[in-house]
Amino acid sequence: MKNIYMKILIVLMFFSGIFQFSIFSLSWEYFKLVQAIHILSSAFIAIFFLIPYVNKHTYEYMIIKRTKSTSGVILGILLFFIVASGFYLFFIGNPGGDIIGLISHYIHLYGSFILLYFLFLHAKKKIDFNTKSFVAIALLLSISYPNISFASEKLTNIVLEKGALRYHNEDWTNSTKCKSCHEDIFNQWADSNHRHLTGSNPYYMVMENLAGADMGDEFRQWCMGCHNPSAVTTKQKRSTHRMDVNNMPSVLFEKGSQSLIDEFNTHGNSKLEQGVSCVTCHRITKADSKGNSAYTLDLTNRKKYVFEDSNAGVKQWLSEKFINSNPLIHKQSYSKEIYKESAYCASCHDEFLPDDSKRAVVSTFKEWEKSPFNNPKDPTKHKTCIDCHMTYLENGKLAPLKGQSTTGGTMKKDVKVHYFSGSNHFLSGLKSKEHEDQTIQLLRTSAEIDVDIKNGKVLVGVKNVGAGHHLPTGVSDFRELWLDITVTDRDSKVVFSSGKLKEDGNLDTDARPFMKVFGDENSEPVGLLFWRYKKLLSDTRIPAGERRVEIYNILDTKNLKYPLNAVVKLNFRIYPQWVTNAVQRAFPQLPNPPVVILEEIQKEFQSQK
Amino acid sequence: MRFFVYLFLFITLLLTSISFILPTKEKRQFSDDALRVAALSRNMSSTPATYDDLLKLVDTADNKLSKEKIDLGRDLYHETMLSKDKDISCATCHVLSKDLNDKNIYLKALTSQTNNKTDCVVCHLSDQSGTDRFETAVGHGGAQNPHHLNTLTTLNAALAKYQTWDGNVKTLEAQVGLSIKDPFQMNLSKEETVKRLLSDTEYVKKFALAFDEISFENVEKAIGAYLKTLITRSDYDKFLDGDNDAINAKAKKGLAHFLNFGCKGCHTGVTVGGQSIQKFPLRDYNSIVNVTNSFNEKDKGREVSNFNFNAKMYHSFPFENKGGFMGKDGEKLFRVPILRNVTKTSPYFHNGAVTNIREAIYLMGKHQLGMNLTHEQTDEIVEFLKSLEGDVVNYEVLNKDVL
Repeated sequence: MKNIYMKILIVLMFFSGIFQFSIFSLSWEYFKLVQAIHILSSAFIAIFFLIPYVNKHTYEYMIIKRTKSTSGVILGILLFFIVASGFYLFFIGNPGGDIIGLISHYIHLYGSFILLYFLFLHAKKKIDFNTKSFVAIALLLSISYPNISFASEKLTNIVLEKGALRYHNEDWTNSTKCKSCHEDIFNQWADSNHRHLTGSNPYYMVMENLAGADMGDEFRQWCMGCHNPSAVTTKQKRSTHRMDVNNMPSVLFEKGSQSLIDEFNTHGNSKLEQGVSCVTCHRITKADSKGNSAYTLDLTNRKKYVFEDSNAGVKQWLSEKFINSNPLIHKQSYSKEIYKESAYCASCHDEFLPDDSKRAVVSTFKEWEKSPFNNPKDPTKHKTCIDCHMTYLENGKLAPLKGQSTTGGTMKKDVKVHYFSGSNHFLSGLKSKEHEDQTIQLLRTSAEIDVDIKNGKVLVGVKNVGAGHHLPTGVSDFRELWLDITVTDRDSKVVFSSGKLKEDGNLDTDARPFMKVFGDENSEPVGLLFWRYKKLLSDTRIPAGERRVEIYNILDTKNLKYPLNAVVKLNFRIYPQWVTNAVQRAFPQLPNPPVVILEEIQKEFQSQK
Repeated sequence: MRFFVYLFLFITLLLTSISFILPTKEKRQFSDDALRVAALSRNMSSTPATYDDLLKLVDTADNKLSKEKIDLGRDLYHETMLSKDKDISCATCHVLSKDLNDKNIYLKALTSQTNNKTDCVVCHLSDQSGTDRFETAVGHGGAQNPHHLNTLTTLNAALAKYQTWDGNVKTLEAQVGLSIKDPFQMNLSKEETVKRLLSDTEYVKKFALAFDEISFENVEKAIGAYLKTLITRSDYDKFLDGDNDAINAKAKKGLAHFLNFGCKGCHTGVTVGGQSIQKFPLRDYNSIVNVTNSFNEKDKGREVSNFNFNAKMYHSFPFENKGGFMGKDGEKLFRVPILRNVTKTSPYFHNGAVTNIREAIYLMGKHQLGMNLTHEQTDEIVEFLKSLEGDVVNYEVLNKDVL
């Protein structure tokens, strides 16, 4: 082959390479193509043309003709490094945690300038670029104009805002795709409550159906806005669940979302992943704190690397290589500064009735806003949602996890774990003990209790010390947090007791759960139908940082035989028994949620005060 | 070398310029009215809106509809006495509420202590779809259908020419009798049915009003009369009756595809199906060697007999042949399913092997029409099928003879 073609190829590789340099800020349409062309053609050229040519050339001049050329030797060494670093970037990549990857990146980038310099030096005498070759290069570049070569791009040009109708299933990249590089994070998410917000959550499915039956099918969209964004944006009318012949599949107990992975392997993106998937949160571009799913999604204007959406083996492998070799854009596409702010979470963790009244059903964000945790002036005291709910816990304390969020990625001091620990230890705990453990640890940081007996009265103080919102928050009409008190006398006879469970599993009427009770227009409790909420019947939740004292009377005060022994437990149950009973009608395999003891104290009282 | 470069450039330039120069093919577009005319001219029509119109369609000489008959039929449809163990009624599988206006049916089922509806069915109660949405029908004593056939909906069945999956039954009344007697369904004999009803004074009175006596034939007729009133009306019917805004543009496109592609050839008539018996799959792309399960994990060994070869040269259906049902006379002949309310009656095909309606549409396009439907076309057809979803019409039943 003539020298001139070799030079053209090298210059082509050089330009397609440096165009990816950030100072050029090439538009994404071109960038991704240039990257793919650069990598694929360079590998092809290197293996089939460049290396054989250099071998032949070196042999011809250094062995046979015994020419001495310093620029030639340097050029050869440089070429070796460039090619080696190129192959390293391609096969192993530069995901951040690997020093050789970083070095390869710099060698490949800056080395290429030096290479070009020596190339001109080496070939100075016989530069004869003819114009025809340049025309050929220009035409070659022009035919890779994105609109012509990538017709499929049009499919994904829908914008969800004004004018756009809907997304297609294919736009919703399945979370399984993220697993290959973010395995730890995927596994954390896979058993978390964010993953299991829809079809695999029996409580939700029953409630959505109930809402549909009570208020009309259209009303389901209210629930689905946060629970099932993929179905809403693809214009589905309801959430659906999987079936296994005539039975519900046992996704309740399935670890690592295996069924999702299997489904993806069989159907690819054509089968919609319902619930809150990776791209749901990681493609929110705007989120104001208004609540009721007030966020802007942008799936279609993603900067996708070539073949990023492909499920076919080779293409998928290649796309991973493309991302790994230069992952900057990938990071920018899926991670935004707003993700660290509480207002981002507020778009779903604040919830109100979708009518003129806008009665607040869940106001976790507003509670946080008023709490001492919201303190932007003093960064040491300012704690956002993710500081507690996405931070690893160890031995009952928040202990930021050191490690990687990407396989082979940068070592981070505080990996934001995707357990999404909150209060629901039960549903995630059915799948993974790790999740249950993380959530219960977090729950146990929330409150402190104390007890005193005075004048025949039992006084129990409960202080919300750990939560940056009310205790409990969320759907606090469906949460049970209560005091279980037993006072025994000298003869171990029970002189006072409160907060026990009845035989049918329901909480006894003497218990005083810290919760909200919604009533309808006739001031009757709404029961399961919380959207019928018209009047707030009671709200006994404990705001952040506050202490509540509950006073109980001991009936038979005259015959008290001291010393008295008081055992007080702060109990928590994620769903009341009557709610679980209703859900078990539809999902018989659902077990009863356990009662979790958050705090327990025991105190002896020697004599009457 | 230079020659190849020029050749390459020439070809690419030629191809790109051709793609710009060639005019894009104009697609045939129906106007709303033309679409309606086309649909009506192809034997599709709306369901009756009034009782008088209903009578014209379903009334037969040997089972004249009357208010008493329909009321009795409704009672019998929900009567668990008609099953051997007195635990299931027609409505157990053909899920339908006795009072269709009852909005609290689901809440009641969740919270009442006595309700025996549990598991999946409970959430689908408010669908009022006339089927239980199981993959295979479950009958007396929890027995599954021997052919893995799923429950067909009772809604609009009265307007179909043939009943059941293979179309062997011609009348509703005959099907009612078969379902009661079938050992995998209600498993109750003729004699026992009559005996049980005679022992109930309420039924004796009701039968006296509707018929002259209690007999098995009269049970069939009464339930048949009730089924004839289970007709749904949907947005599609409103469109056919002249309301251009009843269905959206996408559904109209879907309807146009439905007419153009040839779906309507079989899925026709007022029920959009159920009028003929056809072969499925019409085109075979299944002649692929099936090597799944070719090795039996249970008894590993070196003996050839231990290799459980499954190397059939031929698949019967483009999905798993659960139950091995081969249609009428084993010839893969099936009654064309009714597409009204199809979105409420998943899973699809006779053995329920396909859960996703988009997949079902794709398979039908491929195997019956020989077309590979695009995502967009499939979406539009789904939208059209959604417009077929409707509620049971609450007909004002009047006795003709009395008036």
